[in-house]
Amino acid sequence: MSEIKTPKQGITRREFLVRSTVIAGSGFFSIGLPGLVASTHADAAIGGQAFTPSIWFTMTPDGKTTMHILKAELGQHIGTGLAQVIAEELEVKWEDVRLDTPLESVENFAIYGLAYTVNSGSITTEFDRIARAGAAGRIALVEAGAKVLGAKLSSCHAQNSRVIDKASGRSVTYGEILQKANIDRKFAYPDDFRKIPLKPREQYKIIGKSLPSLDIPAKTNGKAKYGIDVFLPNMAYGALVIPRTRYASKVLSIDDSEARKIPGFIKAVKIDNAMGKCTGWVVAVADRFPTAMKAAKALKVKWDAGPYANLGSSEMLAQYKELSKNESESAAWVLEGDVDQAFGNAEKVFEVEYTTDMVCHATMEPLNATVQYANGEWHVHVGTQSTSFARMTLTGYLATVLNKKPEDLKVFVHQYLVGGGFGGKQDYDDILAAAYCVKETGRPVKLIHTRESNFATSFARTPTYHKLKAGIKDGKLVAMNQDIICGWMGARFGVGKKGGSDWLQLDSWDAKKQDIDQWSIGGSDHWYDVKNHRVRAWNHEVTTWAVQASALRTVSNSYNIFAVESFMDEVAHAAGRDPLEFRLAMLNGKGGNRGIPNAGYPPGTKSDYYMDQLWISLPWTKEGSWIAYESATVGGALRLANCLRVASGKAGYGTRRLPPNTGIGIAVTSAEERQSPTWVACIAEVTVDPDTGRFSINRLTIAMDPGTVVNPKNVDAQIRGSALWGASQIMSERLTLKNGAFEQANYHQYVPIRLAQVPEIDVTIIASDHHPSGVGEPASTVVAPAVANAIFNAVGVRVRHMPISPEAVLEAMKKKA
Amino acid sequence: MPQLSLNGQSYFSDSPPDTPLLWVIREELQLTGTKYGCGMGLCGSCTVHMNGQPMRSCMVKLADVDENAVITTIEGLDPADSHPVQKAWIEKEVPQCGYCQSGQIMQAAALLAANPSPSREEIVQHMNGNLCRCATYSRIVDAVHRAAELMKEGSSHV
Repeated sequence: MSEIKTPKQGITRREFLVRSTVIAGSGFFSIGLPGLVASTHADAAIGGQAFTPSIWFTMTPDGKTTMHILKAELGQHIGTGLAQVIAEELEVKWEDVRLDTPLESVENFAIYGLAYTVNSGSITTEFDRIARAGAAGRIALVEAGAKVLGAKLSSCHAQNSRVIDKASGRSVTYGEILQKANIDRKFAYPDDFRKIPLKPREQYKIIGKSLPSLDIPAKTNGKAKYGIDVFLPNMAYGALVIPRTRYASKVLSIDDSEARKIPGFIKAVKIDNAMGKCTGWVVAVADRFPTAMKAAKALKVKWDAGPYANLGSSEMLAQYKELSKNESESAAWVLEGDVDQAFGNAEKVFEVEYTTDMVCHATMEPLNATVQYANGEWHVHVGTQSTSFARMTLTGYLATVLNKKPEDLKVFVHQYLVGGGFGGKQDYDDILAAAYCVKETGRPVKLIHTRESNFATSFARTPTYHKLKAGIKDGKLVAMNQDIICGWMGARFGVGKKGGSDWLQLDSWDAKKQDIDQWSIGGSDHWYDVKNHRVRAWNHEVTTWAVQASALRTVSNSYNIFAVESFMDEVAHAAGRDPLEFRLAMLNGKGGNRGIPNAGYPPGTKSDYYMDQLWISLPWTKEGSWIAYESATVGGALRLANCLRVASGKAGYGTRRLPPNTGIGIAVTSAEERQSPTWVACIAEVTVDPDTGRFSINRLTIAMDPGTVVNPKNVDAQIRGSALWGASQIMSERLTLKNGAFEQANYHQYVPIRLAQVPEIDVTIIASDHHPSGVGEPASTVVAPAVANAIFNAVGVRVRHMPISPEAVLEAMKKKA
Repeated sequence: MPQLSLNGQSYFSDSPPDTPLLWVIREELQLTGTKYGCGMGLCGSCTVHMNGQPMRSCMVKLADVDENAVITTIEGLDPADSHPVQKAWIEKEVPQCGYCQSGQIMQAAALLAANPSPSREEIVQHMNGNLCRCATYSRIVDAVHRAAELMKEGSSHV
């Protein structure tokens, strides 16, 4: 993504318009930005997408309101959640709400901003601004409605898609207002917008309700359309020949003599590896997909296997251990107090190593992309986490391979439902390859990964190696050091060390100024009050490229919370204290753990949340950056302690006599980031079979405080799904590299959790009035350490590796005996 | 040309005989509710009914489909898309990303057709071959129980 510059914004954003206009005979009421002209972009193949001059919603005189949703539907029902927030303030009838998704184009990017669904940040970043947009619409409608009714403005209010005059008892519907009045209301930005009063939360009627999600019915009858379901006239199909290595192989020759014997085979396309993408890729193009698969197998490709030809998981781990010896290569992520001195003064000091294996997204919908070139326009049809980055990446790629200027290329991205994202649909190699096949064949091409080629080209979570050291004095953790060695994904995304900018620092902490890729280190910056605390990180850049290290649900929190929370139990036991009481004592909300309204950014920073700094969801000019909203850190570690108390109480921690070989383990998390915490505690009950080492998770008790809850049922679904994601990771998910290629090819070798392994799950949502934080990921991080701690409590052995295999448990038990 | 009886209609397929039925259904007949997940019968996303039995359509070659076989896909499960399983799936809000759910629903409908009151254990055993990466599993079990109730209510009105 770093290769392509964001198009410059030509529109100044100093006011919002709430306006009704007449286009093609029908009135529109829309809220959006000035100076924008409505247009339509016809797309013959798919039937076109409506385009309106509004960012957030468009209301028509029939009273129907269409919410324009920029976020991808990945299974979180985000459209419904965002629409609930707008509808609440707009006072619109929920039955009249519809959703649509804007087409991604240069023009629409300038209007809607960056379409990027990531980091559990959709509700967090959008909540305040869309609530205000809804309220601005309501204000304009009430003013117009008062005129239509001939009533005093002060006597009028809106409710349920009506403006009501209290004095006379008369009312008029929103639809009637649009038919009778012209609305042209300006709100100066940011001053007027900032002053719009939002509803007191006790008056919520739509936010906080488990309204049925609007995307669900079509997902029960086959009508839901995913990227893989696209058809274009005269379309050919592409299937990938599995490259020799995951990355940096070079195609030397292609022998298509066998493939040419297959009827329907069209061409073997060697994909241009411009921008370092699709390295070693050869795509078999055919008139049908099964033919393309067959041809891909029949093609004989020779590769130069490249620099990672001999690299494997064991080699990477050995290199991590070697790298960790060189302290000067490390970067400090947390520096509190004087750690070395505190170790010197401690009564007990111990150090342990933790490791984690790679995992991958393995979405049920394999990656795919359909691309068409017609009338000078490139059209991409795909379900992706970012239509914007997809467009920018393809534009940059095409500019290179076609030798054209980016501004001369017309690229459009049509968004579809996404059959699972988890961070795995924010790379665009498949789109580039499909586009290159279009160039080579002159036909629209649908490229579908087989499950095997999908695994072979996975964007993996890096393997990790951790050293954790504790200094204990008077039964307290007085010093803690964590060393983390892994491949930072930042380099691939143009951030972090050697990637460029000094982009993120710990909020108020006295962190040494270093370029660090937070996505690879976050989670180590826990909320415990440890006076002397240091985290050091090493980047193993070979890993970054060799396995195409990438973001996977909670990114680094998954491995760091596993290591930190397992280790906290070890420290508690070493200090002779109960792990629950030990944690609660350190979750005291003191110092940097108190939570800070403006989390340590320089004075004058407009918004607390770093996503607003980096990936601004709307294309505001710098001086018009979005106004600040409450930080999710408010309340700090005390909110985390509260979750832990609730979960422990509900699980009956310390009150029940457990069966033999059964243990209870606890863990807490504040994922996603230090600046955007969602507070979660988990209690796991696990039974271990002492003969085989196999363990089963009997029960998970989870308490989460995500602040304001927009749709409790959806939050519950996200918590359960992510908890089982975590369970799956600690039980069985494991991706390994050998000779530069991944060893797992399908679901018999890469094993996600199935129904029979699903434990009982007790979820408590602690809703508060605080600003909403993300719910799609955090619970996935606490299950692994809670299970590891439960195994220790069940059979007295500590496995310091994720996943935990029965063999590892058994071996540890034998050693102990 | 092989003839297929699918969702009450006759189709002729001109796909090669070794084509997995899944791809005939999805890409030739363009009934895209049936999903590709693994191609090895490991995930259940491609589940359809053949003569009422749940079947992984990625594992059956076109040539092996009996011309008298009655095939039903998610699109043909109910003329009004209101099979008790579909109703229960909506009521319990089972789907998240939704990609695997056609297969889940077809698998569950086949279970209930054979066993109108399955126990939890029977549901788990019958549904265990269907992967869901969003892990909607606990709601799947709830919804199968609910669909069983709806079927009983429905039959008592007849």
